[in-house]
Amino acid sequence: MTGMRKTVRQAARATAQLAAVAALTFGSYLFITVLLFTAVATLVVVGAGLLPETVLLVRRIAGAKRRRVAQWTGREIPEAYLPVTGPLRARLRTVTHDPGSYADLRWMAAHYAYGILLFLPLLALWPLGLVLDGLWCGLLRRRALVLPLIGRLADLDAAWSTALLKPSPKALLVERVEELTETRAGAIAAHGAELRRIERDLHDGTQARLVSLSMRIGLAKRAYDRDPAAARRLLDDAQDQAEEALTELRHVVRGIHPPILTDRGLAGAVRALAASSGLHVTVSAEGLSDSGNGPRAPAAVEAAAYFVVAETLTNAAKHSGSDRAEVRLARTATALRVRVRDEGRGGADAAGGTGLVGLRRRVAALDGTVAVTSPAGGPTVIEAELPCVW
Amino acid sequence: MRVVIAEDHALLREGLVLLLSSAGHEVVAVVSTGPEVLPALLTHRPDVAVLDVRMPPGFRDEGLRAALAARAEIPGLPVLVLSQYVEESYAAELLGGGARGVGYLLKDRVGRVDEFLDALDRVTAGGTALDPEVVTELLTRRGDSPLDSLTPREGEVLKLMAEGHDNTTIGRTLVITERAVSKHIGNVFLKLDLPPSDSGHRRVQAVLTYLNKVWGPSGPPR
Repeated sequence: MTGMRKTVRQAARATAQLAAVAALTFGSYLFITVLLFTAVATLVVVGAGLLPETVLLVRRIAGAKRRRVAQWTGREIPEAYLPVTGPLRARLRTVTHDPGSYADLRWMAAHYAYGILLFLPLLALWPLGLVLDGLWCGLLRRRALVLPLIGRLADLDAAWSTALLKPSPKALLVERVEELTETRAGAIAAHGAELRRIERDLHDGTQARLVSLSMRIGLAKRAYDRDPAAARRLLDDAQDQAEEALTELRHVVRGIHPPILTDRGLAGAVRALAASSGLHVTVSAEGLSDSGNGPRAPAAVEAAAYFVVAETLTNAAKHSGSDRAEVRLARTATALRVRVRDEGRGGADAAGGTGLVGLRRRVAALDGTVAVTSPAGGPTVIEAELPCVW
Repeated sequence: MRVVIAEDHALLREGLVLLLSSAGHEVVAVVSTGPEVLPALLTHRPDVAVLDVRMPPGFRDEGLRAALAARAEIPGLPVLVLSQYVEESYAAELLGGGARGVGYLLKDRVGRVDEFLDALDRVTAGGTALDPEVVTELLTRRGDSPLDSLTPREGEVLKLMAEGHDNTTIGRTLVITERAVSKHIGNVFLKLDLPPSDSGHRRVQAVLTYLNKVWGPSGPPR
């Protein structure tokens, strides 16, 4: 009997799936009426405001269908829509230019037909199946024949819907372009902020010190004949100022592009960083030259990767409570990957912590991503991916 | 003493020549690119070489590599390496062949003429001169090491010792008697469990070896 029970259960599940298909189909009938109304209204301008809202509604329906199908097949159907924002005119342009809008409409029209086509056989399959399979499977212990067909119907719906709802390569491209436009704007903003920071550091720090240095030398020259002791003091001061200016300048330079990167390349620089971190760090570098002589990632990417490692090792030394860490650098076909793992107590706050925020910003400026996993009890793993080809 | 200078920046080059000549040293050769360094040293066999780390053609660490190559060719050749920035791993590489006659200083230090000349003398005589910044970095490593058990004064003494100074200079710098310096040094060696050694490069070596251990098993990169 268990075989039969299982068959019935599976068929019931498929029925639920198909019932939803049918419900959605009936919903579509209603909706298409609304849609036609909107279309007509749009044509006569009055209802132009309705169009974006309608498209968003279509998206929501298509989204619900995607989730439903994903539940049945266990495979996600990706989405690719342009974000509908801005004034009405911009929204109208977006929804009419988005290939996703038309794909959704195509799906809806097709579903209109196949939704019913797939649901109707159910009405016959159930009574027929219960009787035939009841005898065949329940009593004769053979494989059920009719009820599993209901499952196949649900499979068909899933297959067709997947094919229709899957974003076209074009839609994916459009979405990617949109994403890139956004990250590029972010990168430019971050770059601007970085330039302003450097400018401020040089202006307020180094330049101010050099002015004061020059002033002291001038005063020393005036005092030279009349009060040599005072002149000497002023020169001492001047030298201190010069040294402080140099120290500051070194910090600024390190912040822009650590000199050791130029000398030794990323792998060498990270090894030096690891050696001076105070932790036991193992460093592995895949596809990177160790001497800095081979092909190199773009300087900005190397610098960002270096800062990721520097910041996370500092954090690990300060907060993790562990004295071990592992750094992995890997060159892939499209990116540079950085992974830092410590065996500490975990609980690093991915959002908080100015260090992590700054790090994220620096990586995002290069269209990269940072993933932080740090469950309480550890380990903490920071992974950064910096897209680049070299 | 006879000095070879390698420095690509004209202003600094002239400054160094002026400084060394005015201190009574003889500058026997001045070169401005990495590949010229070794031949010049082999030809002139100076008492000491003053080398800039970053030089043409690559503007990377030509000076450092030249220093290592020169010391491989002429064992014990005193070299004083100057750099716009100091990097612990470079110090480790330089000291890899022993601390005898090795100097590694920030270029800024040249401004303190007396101290710079003193460091140069020390290196020429087979001593050591490490930039305070390198030593500070070495000492400010993460805690839980016996270094924490040092008193502040002992810490200062250790720092000056690692930079390569002798007891007299340490005493003068900290304004304490030489006897007090010896006592502090004895305590430092005891607390860090180091074999007692005489003054000079051997003592620096002992201290650096100890700090190297703090460097961790990943060790100075090669």
